[in-house]
Amino acid sequence: MPEGSTSGFLRRREKVNIYKIIDKLFLYLIRFVSMISVLLLVFIVIFILKESLLTFEEVSFYDFVFKKGWRPISENPELGILPMILSTLYVSILALGIALPLGVGSSIFLSCMVNEKNRNFIKPIIDLMAGIPSVVYGFMGLLLIVKFFERKLSFSSGESILAASILLAIMILPYIISTCDESMIKILKKYESTSKALGVSKYHMIRYLILPTAKKGILASVVLGLSRGMGETMAVMMVIGNSPLYPKLFGKGQTIPGLIALEMGGASVNSIHYHALFASGLILMMMLMIINVLFYFIRKMMGTVSEE
Amino acid sequence: MKHLSIKLWSIISISLVMIIISCIFGFLFIHGYEGISYEFFIKEPNGMPLGSEGGVYNAIIGSICFTGIATIFSFVFALSIATYLVFYEKNEKIKSFIRFIIGIIAGVPSIVLGLFGYSFLVVYLKIGISILTGGIVLGIMIFPFMEIRFEKTLLEVDINLIYASLSMGVNRTYTFFKIILPICYKDMIRATCLSASFAMGATAPILLTGAVYYADIPNSIFSPAMALPLHLYLLISEGISLKNAYATALVLIVLLLLINSIPTVLDMIGGNKIVRFIKRRKS
Amino acid sequence: MLDLLSVENLSVRFHDQKVLRNINASFKKNKITAIIGPSGCGKSTLLKTLNTLLMEDHEANIEGKILFDNENIDKIEKEKIRQKIGMVFQNPVPFPLSIYKNMEYALKYYGVKKDERKMIIEEKLKVTGLYEEVKDSLNKSALKLSGGQQQRLCIARALSIEPEILLLDEPCSSLDVKNTKNIEHMLLALKDQYTIIIVTHNLFQASRIADETLFMLDGEVIEFDLTENIFNHPKEQRTKEYVMGIYG
Repeated sequence: MPEGSTSGFLRRREKVNIYKIIDKLFLYLIRFVSMISVLLLVFIVIFILKESLLTFEEVSFYDFVFKKGWRPISENPELGILPMILSTLYVSILALGIALPLGVGSSIFLSCMVNEKNRNFIKPIIDLMAGIPSVVYGFMGLLLIVKFFERKLSFSSGESILAASILLAIMILPYIISTCDESMIKILKKYESTSKALGVSKYHMIRYLILPTAKKGILASVVLGLSRGMGETMAVMMVIGNSPLYPKLFGKGQTIPGLIALEMGGASVNSIHYHALFASGLILMMMLMIINVLFYFIRKMMGTVSEE
Repeated sequence: MKHLSIKLWSIISISLVMIIISCIFGFLFIHGYEGISYEFFIKEPNGMPLGSEGGVYNAIIGSICFTGIATIFSFVFALSIATYLVFYEKNEKIKSFIRFIIGIIAGVPSIVLGLFGYSFLVVYLKIGISILTGGIVLGIMIFPFMEIRFEKTLLEVDINLIYASLSMGVNRTYTFFKIILPICYKDMIRATCLSASFAMGATAPILLTGAVYYADIPNSIFSPAMALPLHLYLLISEGISLKNAYATALVLIVLLLLINSIPTVLDMIGGNKIVRFIKRRKS
Repeated sequence: MLDLLSVENLSVRFHDQKVLRNINASFKKNKITAIIGPSGCGKSTLLKTLNTLLMEDHEANIEGKILFDNENIDKIEKEKIRQKIGMVFQNPVPFPLSIYKNMEYALKYYGVKKDERKMIIEEKLKVTGLYEEVKDSLNKSALKLSGGQQQRLCIARALSIEPEILLLDEPCSSLDVKNTKNIEHMLLALKDQYTIIIVTHNLFQASRIADETLFMLDGEVIEFDLTENIFNHPKEQRTKEYVMGIYG
């Protein structure tokens, strides 16, 4: 045994250690809270599923998804959300088409073409965009985009799929930029010195090294942008016109989230209308899931070159 | 030539993005500033139709209440799940199940969460349209984001610090409170504030669960309240008052900026005064 | 001579990969034992297993027996084992606290009173030769110390709770010559009070300070003998090749 002035102090105090009791209590507490929250989350999923599935007792899944006609409160209710599904896809894919080139271009600029100082100045401003609430975006969309269409291009109504897509593109831009930028920075840090040592120019490096290697990051930003876009409610609802028509670029349309938001208050609980709204929510979630799975496989197929 | 096109592409993109941003903010600040006065903050909506005159006092208070409840609710659950997953749960299957469920909830569009809140909390449980209901739905909305950020922060702690602590026979909880929390709390505050600002800006989840067209200052968590985003939406969609709409949007944006600057402010204060105070007291 | 710690038929697997195969060894009280071998041979894993830290890694599959004071460590509380068997890591890992708080950390946990804490901390800092260097700046962040000072602080911290065995995992690998020398001297001085097991990459270090040396290769113990025998009259061909610098 070590001899010294302090030896043995631990043996004297071995009996009760308050921290061991706290450890037990804390473990029980957080295990309990975590269990409750997991149960709650599972319950939410089950609840949404249950309420939606009741719809399909009245109308077949096929008719619901692939037929047109939305008359939920008439004598013979018609429940077909195909126009809404198509509008939702149309708007978000078009928005992505507008936002992706801009986003990738901006992230090239941010990751490769500016110094640390300017980057630290620009990046927070772009992040700020992500923090603007969607109602404010909708407001701006009405005032700037819709008004512009009506006045300058003399449309009969500026509220249209195109207006919604442009607005949505602006809204998903910060997400696309930050996802792409993150993966490009990673690649740059990894290969910059090697590439410089080869004596190639910066733009050559961007073209033949960074862009091809960052495609997984770009793909991830596509998924994120699409998910954000398809779930977006308020902003799109404010500029799209909300008519359950098949989508045309300059025509009005209605997305699934918009449908739910507008009709949720009017649907009496447990009516077919109410269940149909839940079911459209479910369809929206299924669409998101399909997109995620699809891109997961694309990602897998893209082969071995990646930033990781 | 190829190189020039890349250069052009990226410069045009970033310029466009910056122009869009400055348009949005410029427009908001210039027009919003005209509508803002001292009265706008302390008066309730007034006039006919309601909202064409007066201010947004109730909506500010309502928004703060919603955000507060959502943040507290979500914080408690997110922190305990993140801690539990990172430090206590050893079973990989349970871990991936919990992460899977959180992933699903993260993918639920906010309007569907609102629908859930409306039918389950408001109608089935009969809590009614109230701050509590709206707050809970907002809390569910920000929960996955918060949890994922917390988990990421906790996982970033150098594993060797944890091993060094455990190697002295100290248990996990003591390590968590004495070593890990002091390292992580700043990032956690940052994530919490970011989530809070998401909650404050969201409209869809509170449409039928908590926010109403007009309400007095809420006197309990069971009473409904007004919220800035919904107020703004109504002002625009009913075409009540463009001037007040601008002002309301500006107030909302400024509130969000304030929330997001909390961590920086705490950092600044913490870096100087508090630390110096503690040091002085100790020595 | 008493065997304070011994290992019987110890095997460790990560998934399908066997990291330690059938280790048998016993470590003598108040001696310095060096574990040598090329990188990746399982030295650090062995050390972590002795301190039961490896049990925190859920992917590790541990078989076999470890006896501490002739008692199977499965039967003893993990916390107690870790208090008796201290450990110092390859890279210095001071907690992001002040020097004093680093030292105080575990003592507080064990409920040691304030004045007693102060006494112990001073004593342990003196043992590691750090006291003179930092006595005026105990409230300074430990992260501001130099690498060598940090490592000595970590040793002092490990000693603060009076372990009987001290495990060191290549403690000098990131230090300069002077600090290495410091630590070696310190270890020799600590030998009277503690049983020391040190993993090292540096063969000269092993020959300078160790009483006994264990040579490992690919997760197996090749040879375990007095240091002099290992370096001068190795029985195994592989040991001979390693100490002569043919591989590793």
